[in-house]
Amino acid sequence: MARVRVEIPSVLAQVVEGRRSVEVEGATLSEAIAALVRLHPALGIHLFDESGRFRQHVLCFHNRTSTRWMEHLDVPVADGDTITILQAVSGG
Amino acid sequence: MNVNLLVGTVKGGFLFRSDAKRGRWSLEGPLFKGWKVTASGRDLGGGYFVATASEVYGVAVQRSRDLREWRQVEKGPRWTEESGFKMNQIWTFARTTDRLYAGVDEAGLFESGDGGESWTLVEGLSGHSTRKVWFPGFGGLCAHVVLSDPKDPKRLWCGISAVGVFRSEDGGKSWAPKNRGVTQVIEDKAEKEIGFCVHGLVQDPNDADTIWRQDHRGMYRTRDGGDGWEKIENGLPSGFGFPIALAAKTRSLFCVPLESDEYRMPVEGKMRVFRSRDGGGSWQPLSKGLPQEHAYMGVLRGSMAVDDLDPCGVYFGTTSGTVFASADGGDSWAALPGTFPRILSVEAFVES
Repeated sequence: MARVRVEIPSVLAQVVEGRRSVEVEGATLSEAIAALVRLHPALGIHLFDESGRFRQHVLCFHNRTSTRWMEHLDVPVADGDTITILQAVSGG
Repeated sequence: MNVNLLVGTVKGGFLFRSDAKRGRWSLEGPLFKGWKVTASGRDLGGGYFVATASEVYGVAVQRSRDLREWRQVEKGPRWTEESGFKMNQIWTFARTTDRLYAGVDEAGLFESGDGGESWTLVEGLSGHSTRKVWFPGFGGLCAHVVLSDPKDPKRLWCGISAVGVFRSEDGGKSWAPKNRGVTQVIEDKAEKEIGFCVHGLVQDPNDADTIWRQDHRGMYRTRDGGDGWEKIENGLPSGFGFPIALAAKTRSLFCVPLESDEYRMPVEGKMRVFRSRDGGGSWQPLSKGLPQEHAYMGVLRGSMAVDDLDPCGVYFGTTSGTVFASADGGDSWAALPGTFPRILSVEAFVES
């Protein structure tokens, strides 16, 4: 079981008691994200749509790799890894 | 006695506070910075709800006992994947003696029997036999107003934009369209009782069957719970507009006519509220203190409110970010401090 840090965008900080990062444990990326939502259930509303997948404009990175580039989230995580939640912004 | 005015915008909420004189206001905010604040209301225990929404992060319900500390509800209104619908926005909160309701986009109604901690779908409405021919208007496919009968909480009304008004006699299990007498905006080939674009509804607190309706096609009134509607536009420069508000004590009605659905601006560039003191029989303009030249803002359907005092306070927010307030039942107006983003919702809460 690895201990990883999840970085939270400022607009969602209110959902996690004002914090910008949360530490969770898991063996895989999928487990770590599930642990995050167990810890802060309201966060699940904002990260996932009705289908249970990441919302269209929510980006999630494991270290420097976007989950959109992954076939699945069952990839191992290690102590000190970072999961970053970002708002996908484009256009002007 | 204090009055709290919660102003919801596309980028957060703002809270004005005043005493009963309503002459001096303090301003707090932004609350929920970066979020749309789309609706607010009271719960059954005197607490408060706010609905927030984001194009990125979805929809949530926030609760507060004191309008200072807020907590997000974990089991708010949410469509299932099987429904095929998307939760875009909460448009309204309503309460009966024992239940809370939330009207949402995509059109549906959710209810809570536990004070607002968990919300479940009122299946009868979004499962209505006509659902396949419901289509959104400019404002989306939104269930934006819910009324109930204080003498029989199982009698409910729900207004859905570009669809029409529905009434339930059994607590939401079944619903019937109630739009006869109103002109349609879009006629379906088969479903002739759908295609009515209700913008706002208010109800006589002593007679639930008397309801006033600001509709896309004009101003209407029913005296029989919606079985039949009559047009009531005597004195209005235009039947088109979005909000309608009712002062519970004085029975004064307020609306903001706009120039047609093509233009959606104050008629002749004059910002005027219209008031009726005879149940909609006639309407008089109120303009003292409101801009009377080059006023081209809009007022959205959720952006007008009346408080419970006498004389009533009347408040509205504009699409260009100004809040106007009257402490004398609409006779005179002043802009409150601040220039805000586009205003989506305004609610007035009186605290004793």
